[in-house]
Amino acid sequence: MAARRKILFHWSFLLVAALIPLVELALPGNHRVGDLLRPIFIMAMLGLGLNILTGFTGLLNLGVAAFMAVGAYSYAILTCDIYPFRLGFWAATVVTVLVGLTVGFCLGLPTIRLRGDYLAIVTLGFGEIVEDVLKNLDAITKGTQGINPLPAPSVFGYQFRPETYQPWYYLFLGFLAILVLLNRNLQHSRIGRAWISIREDELASSCMGINPMKMKLLAFALGAAQCSLAGALWASYLGSSGEPGNYDFQVSVIALCMVIVGGMGNIGGVLLGALVITGFNSIVLETLTNFLKAHQLISSSNVFTSPGSWKYMLYGLALILMMRFRPEGLLPSKQVKAELHPQEPHAPPPSV
Amino acid sequence: MNILAISDLTVRFGGLTAVNSVSLDIPEKQIISVIGPNGAGKTTLFNAITGIHEPTRGRIRFSGEEARRPFRWTTAIALALIGLTAAFSLVLIVNAESLWETAITSNYIYQQAFSWSKAASSAVYYFGEEPGRRLIIPFLIGALVGLAGAYAIWERTRRAPEVAARAGIARTFQNIRLFNQMTVLDNVLLGMDGQLRTRFWHAALRLPLYWRERQESVQRAMEILRFVNLDEEAHQLAENLSYGHQRRLEIGRALAMQPRLVLLDEPAAGMNPAEAQELMKLIHDIRDRGVTVLLIEHHMTVVMGISDRIAVLDHGEKIAEGTPKEVRNNPRVIEAYLGKAYEDASPA
Repeated sequence: MAARRKILFHWSFLLVAALIPLVELALPGNHRVGDLLRPIFIMAMLGLGLNILTGFTGLLNLGVAAFMAVGAYSYAILTCDIYPFRLGFWAATVVTVLVGLTVGFCLGLPTIRLRGDYLAIVTLGFGEIVEDVLKNLDAITKGTQGINPLPAPSVFGYQFRPETYQPWYYLFLGFLAILVLLNRNLQHSRIGRAWISIREDELASSCMGINPMKMKLLAFALGAAQCSLAGALWASYLGSSGEPGNYDFQVSVIALCMVIVGGMGNIGGVLLGALVITGFNSIVLETLTNFLKAHQLISSSNVFTSPGSWKYMLYGLALILMMRFRPEGLLPSKQVKAELHPQEPHAPPPSV
Repeated sequence: MNILAISDLTVRFGGLTAVNSVSLDIPEKQIISVIGPNGAGKTTLFNAITGIHEPTRGRIRFSGEEARRPFRWTTAIALALIGLTAAFSLVLIVNAESLWETAITSNYIYQQAFSWSKAASSAVYYFGEEPGRRLIIPFLIGALVGLAGAYAIWERTRRAPEVAARAGIARTFQNIRLFNQMTVLDNVLLGMDGQLRTRFWHAALRLPLYWRERQESVQRAMEILRFVNLDEEAHQLAENLSYGHQRRLEIGRALAMQPRLVLLDEPAAGMNPAEAQELMKLIHDIRDRGVTVLLIEHHMTVVMGISDRIAVLDHGEKIAEGTPKEVRNNPRVIEAYLGKAYEDASPA
């Protein structure tokens, strides 16, 4: 039963998400829920990329924001008209994904024999390096101001405009659905099986003829490519590459939180994690702050009374509670759950 | 015909010699046991055969060849590509800002047409101004570091477990190493990985080959599970199996690799006599399928009952080899297991 519900979750998530703008159009009044959901899709893509590395293959990566930055900046350089490339949306996106693949591969090569904490430290360093490079490579990245303005994408002859959010919404949702499909297909193939076996026991896996280096490099390249796709879409949405500070350590940690809170190694879990964490930040806290301000319950001069200022503490608290009461995440994969609750008996899943 | 020929094998860890010039020939389609007291170097021997430990000295030949990654032209190309990537990256890193300004920024007028040939000639001019510092030195350093690093890693992983596994050597582990959070079926399917032809694109797009192969491989995996008598547990997680079942699953996973040689590291450890009997039958069946079995075992009934030949290790050295009967009566073996009688010991 549990397995069946899990299989359905990511599809129902995508389906409900696809209906939201239509419902909003049908209802009277001016609704912006769909608008607020757009960053969640981007973060979900970032989480899916990280999930390949950390959830499936067990490579703890603390620098995924750097991959996102690589994506955002290459998309910006390729489309912005201050540079001569001026590619269209699709061409720029494809090139950006290729750049992401290459960067992931190149980071994977020298770190291939590192495990656990050591790899985490290297990826953490990589994240910091990328941020600093973007800050200081003024001639190319425009330093702290970022590359802007980017032209709004034009997809299949349709020109996107910042004020109508629906086309963006469906564009992001479409990309997210493609990534979900891709990741699910890989997970249930020999590739996903090899990744998970490396997470479980690398030595035993190599004794079964799996080449751990090859599989880890593939995970690195694919994870980085998905994160940079998230970055490219983010840049197209912002109309700017964003400044280097947008891709700092916090973003990496939030991505990791999403994967952990949602449930490691489970695609539906990552979507739920993105919804909960990003949604909490951009919807709940925002609405709460606005509500309190509107009713004069807090003053804007005192930062301590603003709920937004407490968000990292709330994240921390939520993670502690999570680790205490539900360490496998809200929507765990069957495997990780077993790892954390070894004594519970398991009903066999219904079919292959 | 010997399927495995170990000659003068020595494995040293720092000052400790775990295996000391052991020579051993394993004839095809037989059951050979390696016995010896704890710490005699049996598992180290297995690890050397399966490529986990690099031998300090000596050779291990599996059906006439050493199980090492061959140096092929693809290896050379991969090394060269990594070297070139590193070289070009370093050139770009060193010159990034000024090169960008010379080639791109100075040739581009806002929203005007951009001539790539002009950019290229600017870049050539830029490098021509100071070729040593801007191009040659970073290129050489990058190429050297990239090539040397890639070659070092390749060389160090030539004798990797996966190479031995792909050559046809399967093994089980002394302390069971299943993929605990994968199902029993998935464990066996993973063992089959080497025979699958599905590539990335087949899996990503679920092309027909993926479906066909999935059906075939699940069918074959179920056959193997029936062979080790675990077909009813196929969808359980491996860690939920009982100890004896886990041992059998490990053997099944090894058989899924369609090996020609199976190394079993203490398969009967912790089994009761009935389970041990079952295991003996299973090992016999494996041999009858044409697979050579190399066995480490402490359970003497099992060893004496099924082995065609037995080798005895003690303190890393081979002290005896022969049929079960010969080994049982060998004074050095008795000494290794029971100790030497004092000359003047009184019968207590």
